[in-house]
Amino acid sequence: MDTVTIERKSNISTEHSSRIYWLGRYTERAFTTLKSLERLYDKVIDRDPEHYKKYLDCFGLNDIYGDYKKFFRSFIFDKDNCCSAAYSLERAYDNGIVLREEISTDALAYLQLAKDKLESSENTPQGLVVAMMPLEDILYGFYGCFADHVYNGEIRDIFFCAKSVERVELYIRLKYRSEKILSESERMCEFLKRIPENTPYRYNEKNLEGLMKMIYSKEYIGRESEAISLIARLFDGGAI
Amino acid sequence: MIKMKNRQILPVTNADEINQLLRRYGVKFGVYKNGQFKEQFFPFDPIPRIIESEKFKVIEKGLVQRADALNKFLFDIYHGKNIIRDGIVPEDFVYISSGYLPQCEGVTPPENIYSHISGIDLVEGGDGEWYILEDNLRIPSGASYPLIARELTRAASPDVFSENGVVDNRNYAKLLKDTMDFVNRGGINAILTPGRYNAAYFEHSYLAELTGAALVQNDELYVEDNMLWQKTYSGGKTRIGALYRRISDEYLDPLTFNSQSLIGIPNLMEAYRSGNVAIINSLGNGVADDKGIYYFVPKMIEYYLGEKAILKNAPTYLPFYEEDRDYVLKNIHKLVIKDVAEAGGYGVVFGSDLSEEKLADFRKTIINEPRRFIAQEVIDFKDLPILENGEQVMRKADLRAFVLSGETTRVWASGLTRFSRNPDSFVVNSSQGGGFKDTWILSR
Repeated sequence: MDTVTIERKSNISTEHSSRIYWLGRYTERAFTTLKSLERLYDKVIDRDPEHYKKYLDCFGLNDIYGDYKKFFRSFIFDKDNCCSAAYSLERAYDNGIVLREEISTDALAYLQLAKDKLESSENTPQGLVVAMMPLEDILYGFYGCFADHVYNGEIRDIFFCAKSVERVELYIRLKYRSEKILSESERMCEFLKRIPENTPYRYNEKNLEGLMKMIYSKEYIGRESEAISLIARLFDGGAI
Repeated sequence: MIKMKNRQILPVTNADEINQLLRRYGVKFGVYKNGQFKEQFFPFDPIPRIIESEKFKVIEKGLVQRADALNKFLFDIYHGKNIIRDGIVPEDFVYISSGYLPQCEGVTPPENIYSHISGIDLVEGGDGEWYILEDNLRIPSGASYPLIARELTRAASPDVFSENGVVDNRNYAKLLKDTMDFVNRGGINAILTPGRYNAAYFEHSYLAELTGAALVQNDELYVEDNMLWQKTYSGGKTRIGALYRRISDEYLDPLTFNSQSLIGIPNLMEAYRSGNVAIINSLGNGVADDKGIYYFVPKMIEYYLGEKAILKNAPTYLPFYEEDRDYVLKNIHKLVIKDVAEAGGYGVVFGSDLSEEKLADFRKTIINEPRRFIAQEVIDFKDLPILENGEQVMRKADLRAFVLSGETTRVWASGLTRFSRNPDSFVVNSSQGGGFKDTWILSR
């Protein structure tokens, strides 16, 4: 069979760099949302059925659900709830679909699989956590495929940098343990330093320093919105 | 088993599995219904259309001949116009055509190629003869579907391919890249898409991936010093030497064509006119795939190549000519009438479907606007089997063949076979609910 030898271009368009960045953020948002909801589910089923309200507090949201079952249904499956896993997965797909030639059909297929899995899980009789596990596996597969199939290092760096930024933000917002936040923040710094200068995702030295100072000293505790605001101003390219 | 003349063919039967794989790989097309965009999976039928090697050789020769003649016609129309001067094609059919672009007069595309990718629709008649239904020389789409279907079918039903001796069709990306490289004026190859909400977006992105071309939209492109550039995220620019555009002529450059276009690139025409970028397919091709011009293609083949057309047109009448008009008005009830300005299966009316009253109205419209329509005999074309709820049923199907013109003219040994979902319908377009099949060319 005649095949094509592809010389991948080294320059990424502005539009695609933004898509790659948001693909990283939304896939991670879907993933961490699922993970954190799993932890929460463990608490509400027999210890504190109202504990989900603390999750809502982290996003500054009122309880319009009345009970944890409705809350979980919305935060996992409701595509109109901008904090749900389904919403994030849709946005990840929206960004991924325009990057086929950058990230490969193989990697993109994982996003389609994840969407399909989430939709088919909505009415599953299984326990919620067990139902969500294959979806997390698919997302792990997506990350692996991305790392394996995308040969352009700049694309990989933007993607994994964005993924890490999102994780740090969510960990802070959801009040994860400080050791976890610190580990992820240090990893984020590694990724940030790989992004070339004069690009929209090159970090702003002063803001990164400010953020890391807060994290090392744990000053972000009780001042989460301040830390999140620094994350939003992390790049020279402007607020995100 | 599928019976052929000298042998039996082991069929693909695991349709559900293959359709699931197609879904997994996002093989979709977009449709707008009531102003809403929806993506649909393109239903795949596993029973392939099979063309024997000897038969394909004839089709191949006929298609190469046709694409070559159409390319020569386009060059002639925008330059010397010899074919008009020699009375082969009346000028009325050229200058009235909405596809004729006066802005392209005297502009010579790189390597003189206008139609790099010609999508030529054919049907096989009940008598085994192949007829050309129409030529698509602007933005013919559909190659990606049999391409990915073959990839997945081979994975899902390997035995079928080890048994049957089917020509591998996965060289389409190579053919396309060779074509782009041949006309490239320096720089990268790029595929210009109007965006995710275009009906054929899957195809744009899949072909970009397979050929290594950049998938671009207008807002990342600009023309400077009569050259086409892509902005990069580091503030630099990359030159584009060949642009495989998937946007209609009229929207490509708002400074030359439709000034309201928000998806075009200002001054692209200048870069093209200066010979600094190849546009694939070239601008102005609509004049040659006009349904009215179709009638003249066999004459073009004789005129430019000195050969008889190998593949026949469906018997066609032009109401523009008095004699043909009389025939059409008398026999409208058994003809299919096509509005030359429409595409995608729209504007096609079967006289047999119309009431007496509607026929009378239609006759008046034809008398008032004879240039607007062509009429064709309804070809008794061969039905193909499809699987429906596990049962084989027969449906109308056509074949879109792809001819790529670069250093040489080559026919892709495959094609998009589209079939009608409705048992009584001749309309096979995906936008109207049709599905698709793979097209196998046997190697022995």
